[in-house]
Amino acid sequence: MRDDPTVIALVTRAAGSDPTAWDEIVERYAPLVWSICTRFQLSNHDREDVGQNVWLLLVEQLGKLREPAALPGWLATTTHRECLRVVTSARKSERLGTELDDALQFVDNTMIDEEILMAERNAALRAAFAELPPKCQRLLSMLTSDPPSSYAEISATLQIPVGSIGPQRARCLERLRKSSALAGLGETDVDWAEGDTHA
Amino acid sequence: MPDAQDRDDEQLLTALGEAMRARREVPEWFVETGKNAYAWHNIDAELAQLTYDSLGDPLGDSLGYSLGDSLSDRERAAAVRSEAASIRALTFTSAGLSIELEVGEGSLLGQIIPPRAGTIEVHTTAGVASSPVDEIGCFAVTPIPASPFRLRCRTEDGADVLTGWITL
Repeated sequence: MRDDPTVIALVTRAAGSDPTAWDEIVERYAPLVWSICTRFQLSNHDREDVGQNVWLLLVEQLGKLREPAALPGWLATTTHRECLRVVTSARKSERLGTELDDALQFVDNTMIDEEILMAERNAALRAAFAELPPKCQRLLSMLTSDPPSSYAEISATLQIPVGSIGPQRARCLERLRKSSALAGLGETDVDWAEGDTHA
Repeated sequence: MPDAQDRDDEQLLTALGEAMRARREVPEWFVETGKNAYAWHNIDAELAQLTYDSLGDPLGDSLGYSLGDSLSDRERAAAVRSEAASIRALTFTSAGLSIELEVGEGSLLGQIIPPRAGTIEVHTTAGVASSPVDEIGCFAVTPIPASPFRLRCRTEDGADVLTGWITL
């Protein structure tokens, strides 16, 4: 997974002045940065601060990343560091005298690794979804909406008989599974069941 | 094995739902902030480091950038300036020039040292605004930027200097 060719290509293109590649990097990994901010329970103001710094640091590092494929890992650790900075400076101004060491206890390396894995998987799934034909996208969107739409609603909205929703769902998921975007994940990494524990 | 296939489908659908939800949770402004950062790609202005802040906090690392100066330098600067007390003052230093800033009521007052004319640009994530710098190096920025910003100073003699991000 660490040598996902998509990520390497995006980083290379962005380093060579391609703004669309940069936008795609941000689209892919903003959820990772955001979710780490959520774990630190940051305010929107602090999230903006953290987000801005993380992406600015990445802009500066673009041409220097030794392993472009390790970008998600770089983003996760940099975001953690920026969140810690915000948390500790807030505490300092409240005169609680908290040491950085205390704040570092928030950081659990296992958790960071999980966040990186999750972010890579989610990015690959969204990319695979984007490759699906519009019909499949509409159906899977309705099935994964919160709360999920009922078959009756899906039938009415998409103008398909209730009886054919099941088979179409199976066909769309099969296309999703076979898409090139998911190929980068590699068989051994794909344990979809884990998605349940995070839900 | 239709049962195994059903279970796989269910898991894949759950994983997809999770991926879509993670993306939906992220507000557009957060994504835009990230995209806008690319404006800083390949900017070759010289970086000016924060070398003094009247708040006394060693702010150099506040944006994750490491300061080149030693603590004793900062302490010395702080001691010299402590008489100025209540007005928030900041100094950014590059090899060729310094930018001194004072936070006034409703505006930022600044001076380029050594004095010379040019323009000062205020960069925020929303865009850029510029103001003139007069012959004795003085400039004013009104109003005080509410969001984080950085200053880029271009002088008539060709210096091009950029500060780190400033939050007041």
